[in-house]
Amino acid sequence: MDTVKIYTNIIKDNMDRPEKVNKLINFGLTSAYYYVSFFKDKRIPRSLHYLNKYSIKSIKDSLANPQNSAWVNLFAPSEFLIAMDIKPLFIEAYSSFMSGFFIEDYLIDTAESRGMSNTLCSYHKTFIGASELNILKKPKFMMTTSMICDANIPTFKYLSKKHGVPLYIIDIPYKYSKDAVVYVKKQLLEVAEKLEEVFNRKLDTDKLREVVKTENKTRALMREYLNYAGEKRSLPTMTFEMYMLFASHVFIGSKEILHFYEMLVEDIKRAPEKNGKSIFFIHLLPIFEKNFKDYFNFSDKFHIAGSDLNYDFLDEIDENDPFKGIAEKLILNSFNGEINRKVARIKELIEKIKPDGIIQFCHLGCKQSMGGTFIIKNLASELGIPFLYLDGDCVDKRNNQEGQNRTRLEAFLEML
Amino acid sequence: MIGYICKYTPVEIIEAFGEEPVRLDSGYKSHERAEALIHSNMCSFAKGVLENIIENNIEEVILTACCDSIKRLYDVLKDKVKFIHLLDLPRKKDPLAIDLFYNEIIEFMEAYQAFKNKNFAEENLLKILESKSFNKEKQSAESIAILGARLKDDVIEKIINSCTANVINFTCTAEERVFNIEAKDNLLKSYAESLLNLTPCMRMAEDRSKLINKELKGIIYNTIKFCDFYSYEYAELKSKADLPLLKIETDYNDSNSGQILTRIDAFLESTGIKKMEKQRAKKGYFVGVDSGSTSTNVVIIDENKNIISYSIIPTGPKALESAFKAFEIALNNAGLQEKDITSIVATGYGRVSIPFADRIVTEITCHGKGAFFIDNTVRTVIDIGGQDSKVIRLDDSGNVIDFVMNDKCSAGTGRFLEVMARTLGISIEEMAKVHKEVKENITITSMCTVFAESEVISLIAQNKDQRDIIHALNKAVASKAVSLVDRIGRKGKYMMTGGVAKNQGVVYAIESRLGEKLIIPFEPQIIGALGAALISLEGK
Repeated sequence: MDTVKIYTNIIKDNMDRPEKVNKLINFGLTSAYYYVSFFKDKRIPRSLHYLNKYSIKSIKDSLANPQNSAWVNLFAPSEFLIAMDIKPLFIEAYSSFMSGFFIEDYLIDTAESRGMSNTLCSYHKTFIGASELNILKKPKFMMTTSMICDANIPTFKYLSKKHGVPLYIIDIPYKYSKDAVVYVKKQLLEVAEKLEEVFNRKLDTDKLREVVKTENKTRALMREYLNYAGEKRSLPTMTFEMYMLFASHVFIGSKEILHFYEMLVEDIKRAPEKNGKSIFFIHLLPIFEKNFKDYFNFSDKFHIAGSDLNYDFLDEIDENDPFKGIAEKLILNSFNGEINRKVARIKELIEKIKPDGIIQFCHLGCKQSMGGTFIIKNLASELGIPFLYLDGDCVDKRNNQEGQNRTRLEAFLEML
Repeated sequence: MIGYICKYTPVEIIEAFGEEPVRLDSGYKSHERAEALIHSNMCSFAKGVLENIIENNIEEVILTACCDSIKRLYDVLKDKVKFIHLLDLPRKKDPLAIDLFYNEIIEFMEAYQAFKNKNFAEENLLKILESKSFNKEKQSAESIAILGARLKDDVIEKIINSCTANVINFTCTAEERVFNIEAKDNLLKSYAESLLNLTPCMRMAEDRSKLINKELKGIIYNTIKFCDFYSYEYAELKSKADLPLLKIETDYNDSNSGQILTRIDAFLESTGIKKMEKQRAKKGYFVGVDSGSTSTNVVIIDENKNIISYSIIPTGPKALESAFKAFEIALNNAGLQEKDITSIVATGYGRVSIPFADRIVTEITCHGKGAFFIDNTVRTVIDIGGQDSKVIRLDDSGNVIDFVMNDKCSAGTGRFLEVMARTLGISIEEMAKVHKEVKENITITSMCTVFAESEVISLIAQNKDQRDIIHALNKAVASKAVSLVDRIGRKGKYMMTGGVAKNQGVVYAIESRLGEKLIIPFEPQIIGALGAALISLEGK
């Protein structure tokens, strides 16, 4: 039996003792942090090594300091939290880590036994399950946006009621207009006030502006990175593309993430020329699916070209009026609004990255993504790029049909 | 006509244009054409609407950005119908949100005006709104609420007809279009505001807890397969548990199916909302017929509640023929004739198709009754039949106070075990043996019968010991049953009924998980029929 299995079994055996489980999870994260710090895999570029450590640490820190943390979703504007030194914990990342610890099945079953629908997104169910078992210590505040994922509002409303923790819901209109910007800007002013009240500290607008400036510099580096992504081979595993979500979303605007992208651009410049075939992923990557791990991680044959989720906003934010600028960023996200917006962004990325194939992994429960599958398939056909969609689950490993996925994936890779 | 789906749609604007707004329904068994255009794991309502639009060649559609499925439905339909418009619906209702929605309505009016080449007259809208501006009637104290996702009109009608209480429909399909437009000088804005003031659905940011009134006699909570919104509210209501609550899950297209209606009936019976006809008890013999999906069982008792005879036969292709046959066998076993029988109560899936029954009662009530009669210390009945499994909670007097049933799929039922026995190439009897000592503790991860079957096939391919696979399958059924028990909370003693109770392996696996012995009646398959016979005798 391997170490992870022993660790998993110890956690599962103690699920009725939340304090102990909390400590075990903290122990797991600490061990992972020290492991990646001391045992550097030479196949991993310096920047990704840095991101690996940063991501584990950010989860660990927010869990260890619930009184200075806020639960958020991937798309929440955490610029305010960064400017106020509040630690964000985004629920999708927590669930992904729990899947990494192999306890997601227990947490999902717990959520379902409380009444959650079995077709609800497993990122949300895993987090709800952990919350139901009181493994997660309640934070001081919760913040979510309505955009992109239907589950955001109900999950956060449910958690906020359960724990009696204040929540602010930012409603993001589907269409862009001046009035829509005014509507969101007013809500952002309200969320800032709420944060000030809950954490009993002032939001320094200059500091927020500084965060936005850093974010703009970071996005400039993201665009620069994309110029090389078509020719170079720099992403050794699927997990790193998913770790990039820490950088492209929740922690963007922090000095550390700016530093990460600076290193990433340096790394990609030095990276070897692309060889083998490259695959561009739509939406999420199934980092726990065995077939995908076997074929893509540290492979010379198949190279991960990137995913559209890491590039859902590439413009600059208005530094003079950060509230208005962030409002625009949220409404104009390529995943928000009609699918044409997302399709245009995918087209732009594909023309830059020039992948050999496109895979959309349809994460069970994610209607916004899978609902557009056939439209993206048409785009791929227009562009003359082979396209594959597979159904499965990025968190709940029980929903992945390994045998069936293998046949389809292999046939697709043979096609390339 | 212009098709719409969401109650927040400005249907009165469409009427003011002189056009007919038609709420699109989704009543198709097949989604063949829809699934060629949109992923099959989308919400079944959205797929059904898409099927409807294609099937009926609907040319004009107005949608709201209410959920991810409907947003994608719009994207898919965009180039396939002559006119389509997507209204962005805010989730809040502050003045800025009202402004946004007002602008959206104006944008729609302009688009439709241009498409139809018709002018919009505000006075028409005012007349329509005035005709809908009356106050709601005061609801009577004894009410039952329907909450959750949209439910088909015929199911709502069935609920209304089968209970004595006032039925309040809080779902999207409720007809609550009552407007109180005061600011006539800014009619459209007032109209936008009143639309946002309709009973909030779960996609809105607003708190819905005020919908739950303590005076309600019960709540029927509907969820739709692949819809993300409503299970949260159900979970919250369930944890409070101060009101009788029934959860149903439909895929919309078959919401009127026997299983859903059985649950609703049983719920209404258990809350006392459904009035069952009273009959005077008479001396003689009393019969219970349980027409199940796999077996048909009949029990005959006398006036002193002694079981005179019973029969169990497989349900053939025609439920009625099997019922006749089982009844005949039971009569012969008892040495009785039809004229000796005072009254007959039918239960089970096929209960509605038995013309010789005097009354029909759901199998939930009957199982509860039968189990409590066999052993009055029982508080939880675990019934696993051929196609479904249920857990019934009884109070100290044997009344059903709560129950849960599996969803439509056959995971964790007798059917699951049959499919797996066939895959393993063994008899169902062989499957029923206890394998306490296992070489390898295998876990079947998929609850879905189809997926579990592929898992078993790969275990066979890996040359795993057959006894270990059987043990794993029994554990899977037990796990599903215990998770149903956990949904209503654990409370002993437990009795297991239904055909699967004869499977020692499953019984042992459930006992291990519950940490308690199960009471297995002498013939677990007849408990429903016995309960029906007892109801027949008691006449209530």
